[in-house]
Amino acid sequence: MLAGVAFAGFTLVLLGLLRLQVVQHEELSRLAEQNRIRLDVLRAPRGAIRDRFGRLLADNQPSFDIVFRPMPAESLSRSRAVIHTDWLMRVASLVQDDTTIVKRRVQEANRTGQTAVLSRNAPYSVMAAVEEMRADIPGVDVQVAPIRRYPEGSLGAQLLGYAGEINDQELEKRQDAGYRMGDLIGKTGVERKYEEMLRGQDGAEFVVVNAMGKRVSTLSEGPPRPPIPGHDVTLTIDLDIQRALEEGMAGVEHGAAVAMDPRDGAILAMVSKPVFDPNEFSRGITFARWRELTAGGGNPLLNRAIQSAYPPGSTFKVVTMLAGLQYGLVKPESHLPTACSGGYFFGGRRFGCWEHRGHGSIDLLTALQFSCDVYFYQLGLRLGLDRLQTIARAVGLGEKTGIDLPAESRGLVPTKEWYEKRFKGYMPKGALLNLGIGQGELLVSPLQMALMTSVVANGGRPVRPHVVMKVQGVPEFRIEKPTEPGLEAAPEIWAAVHDAMKRVVDAGTATSARIPGFGVGGKTGTAQNPHGKDHALFVCYAPTDVPRIAIAIVAENSGHGGSVCAPIAARVLRRVLLGDSLATAPRPPAKRDSTRAAAPDTTEAPGD
Amino acid sequence: MTKLRMPHLDWPLALAVFGLIGIGLLTVYSATSIPGAHQGLWMKQLAWCGLAFAAAWVVAAIHYRLYDSLAWPMYAIALVLLVAVLLVGTSKMGAKRWIEIGPMQFQPSELAKIATTFVLARFFDHARLDLNKVRWWLPPLLIALVPFALVAKEPDLGTGLSFPVMLVAMYFWAGMPLGRLLLGLSPVFNVALFFVTGSIWWFVALFAGLLAFARPKITMLVGILAINAAVAVTLPQMWNHMHDYQRRRIETFLNPDHDPYGAGYQIIQSKIAIGSGGVTGKGYLKGSQKALSFLPMRHTDFIYSVVGEEGGFLGAAVVVLLYAVVIIRGYRLAAVARDGFAGLVAIGVVTALFFHVMVNMLMTVGWAPVTGVPLPFLSYGGTALIVNCIQIGLLQNVALRRREY
Repeated sequence: MLAGVAFAGFTLVLLGLLRLQVVQHEELSRLAEQNRIRLDVLRAPRGAIRDRFGRLLADNQPSFDIVFRPMPAESLSRSRAVIHTDWLMRVASLVQDDTTIVKRRVQEANRTGQTAVLSRNAPYSVMAAVEEMRADIPGVDVQVAPIRRYPEGSLGAQLLGYAGEINDQELEKRQDAGYRMGDLIGKTGVERKYEEMLRGQDGAEFVVVNAMGKRVSTLSEGPPRPPIPGHDVTLTIDLDIQRALEEGMAGVEHGAAVAMDPRDGAILAMVSKPVFDPNEFSRGITFARWRELTAGGGNPLLNRAIQSAYPPGSTFKVVTMLAGLQYGLVKPESHLPTACSGGYFFGGRRFGCWEHRGHGSIDLLTALQFSCDVYFYQLGLRLGLDRLQTIARAVGLGEKTGIDLPAESRGLVPTKEWYEKRFKGYMPKGALLNLGIGQGELLVSPLQMALMTSVVANGGRPVRPHVVMKVQGVPEFRIEKPTEPGLEAAPEIWAAVHDAMKRVVDAGTATSARIPGFGVGGKTGTAQNPHGKDHALFVCYAPTDVPRIAIAIVAENSGHGGSVCAPIAARVLRRVLLGDSLATAPRPPAKRDSTRAAAPDTTEAPGD
Repeated sequence: MTKLRMPHLDWPLALAVFGLIGIGLLTVYSATSIPGAHQGLWMKQLAWCGLAFAAAWVVAAIHYRLYDSLAWPMYAIALVLLVAVLLVGTSKMGAKRWIEIGPMQFQPSELAKIATTFVLARFFDHARLDLNKVRWWLPPLLIALVPFALVAKEPDLGTGLSFPVMLVAMYFWAGMPLGRLLLGLSPVFNVALFFVTGSIWWFVALFAGLLAFARPKITMLVGILAINAAVAVTLPQMWNHMHDYQRRRIETFLNPDHDPYGAGYQIIQSKIAIGSGGVTGKGYLKGSQKALSFLPMRHTDFIYSVVGEEGGFLGAAVVVLLYAVVIIRGYRLAAVARDGFAGLVAIGVVTALFFHVMVNMLMTVGWAPVTGVPLPFLSYGGTALIVNCIQIGLLQNVALRRREY
């Protein structure tokens, strides 16, 4: 029985041999004689990226690449000639690359039988030179392949990210997924996070070529496998809002801004400054240019909106207020024992208020409206670390928001354990005071600030920040559940917080964000920066009755949130609420705003 | 006593293996005779031959009763090594198959193959074996599937599949009726036919035929029907609910080199080489070589294409004939073995060899997917040669003691 199976198996092999060596002998001999079978890869186009209304943000365009096609196999003498010095010199000067790199690629191509790309998106002059020199540089050819095009240039560059040629480490890691040398792969942003969806599946066909490497016909054996294009991805971004935010941020050298729909966490716009042009990467970027971009502190590739963390400054007072109300320590109309006289004494030191003249004895609502530090020092002390950090985490600070973008920063909401580890069991006395006004060790990303504002605006309901709305061809695509717990609080508490935030914009520190006919709730902030000028911050949401946009803005080293950031927010709000596409109304005169904290080692808040 | 008595060697088997190794050496020489990185490999292979022969000798000289008693410890060590290779193994081309010991590289899957053969043989050789009972037919299944899963995870599906294939042959040899065996395998046919044809009706027809042939008991019928029904219902459902990229992944898993620029190219080149050889071949060393000069694997996985090109149909058929001698003599040895354990070991070893020969040869003629399985005795490679010779040593071990009383 088993011998019978063996017999059948060997008969099958003999039949296979007969088929090839007798039936198809002539045809295959002919192919062997010419042996000019080449495998041509049919590149699959990468999926396009669009804004929420279908406006194009990224697609493909043809690139004319200079490639090396491995010699037909029988011409061993010729494939040796290829590694010849003259050939190498000629080709290397043509593609303006190092001979060693060209040699390496050619050898790899000869080994695998795959076409190697020597130069991407070659200018017309180089293509012409290739045509002219064809006889002297056997194997070199011009091939058309899709490369990435970003029609809006630097608009939303860090959010979109860019796609470039796969590098060696990525290749090593992803070989199982079918990546090959020369493939495009998403490097950052949406391009990277949604690589699996955006990427198509390359096809291939066997072609018969003549002695010059020109295609004669396709091979009947092995029909071509058509390429399967990648999936188109639709973002939650609204190009108009993105433009308004970018225009608003034009004057900011370093900084970031996020606009979010507080109802579901959809990102409407995301800006990080400085910017770069992702098209530069599609065309192929030199190492020198890469170094130029990434060197120094102003790295434009960094998406500051999600990857940088800043002290939230006085914007955090919203959280302190919420915590005070939630734990029943204060009421909206409560006055605290120490009236503001421009400073507060604690542990033998004076902690200043940004308003040197003092705010006097005020209630909670007024304290937030004018951002009184002394009030929030006391509230922070009463709350203690545990309660403060619980509420901070409930509204989305201190943990990754789970946004569908790579390399998100967690920020930092310190806990008791963290302080004990950091200061060897000793929690500095002033730390709690500083936390109450958003200074000290606290760090949040602009995205987290927008999330916090959204959660506050929609009455404690958690949302999941996300940038992709749908993926064409993948109907099952779903946004995952929020990571923060959200906050259940009495309606009066929310009403008080919302009222206070509205007063900030109506008649407080952020009057430049007022929009006629709509209620806007906001909070300014100024974050101490030990390395230079303070960072200006502003968060807001609107309209106050049914919020449909929440914005967080950080401008590094530029002073006060009320004067720098609030007008930027106003520009976006006008665009959203009034449909004002120009959004160029003159800036209202900025009121001096916001607060700054006292560092533990100063006796008075530094003025400016 | 374990005294070697030369007349008891299975000489046709031994001569066929020598013939295959000889052809292998000549072909490796020919395949690497063109200028390039691999020149001179045949000398290394010759050295491996010496080592492999010595290993075979030692394995044949030790009485197989020792293997019988050491079966479980060997199996345990093999499993530990298989887990270790997944954790600390050396990766080559995306697969973790090797453990490095100094300059040596070693594939635990090869040890596992032999150890599993011993354990299965020991188990099936039990005096009270009754394959009608679950407690007798289930353990062998687990014994074979654990190493299979570990090896397939590496991933090395080609080698991994030799475990279940071996198991099926040993079930049969241990006395499970053919009909019941095929019925037990029916979920596998079910999945395979679904992927090949995309419809379940092919399987339904096959299953009906099987039932008529096997006439199973009612309990077994219900069990098998339930399993097949579950498979038939869930499989298309799962398939239809998967994303394109998930399907792509499964396809890649089932057929690791299914992308056309790797394997498709090799297969076409292999077919051209064999086909252009014609009936009589192009002559030794005269083979154009050309067709295969791109292939990094012409002296390993695709060596049979070189045989087919230079030796033509006649040369290739001689190789087939020699393998047929090895396999059929091997199965005959199982029949004449002195006891159950020896016979079962022979069955396991021969089946594993046969499987690898088939997978490789059918791949080179374009009738099986590219799985990276070398051709036993012919392909260049020290580990494989030693392991294959050890397998032959085991067969000779059985032969040597077939008349021992």
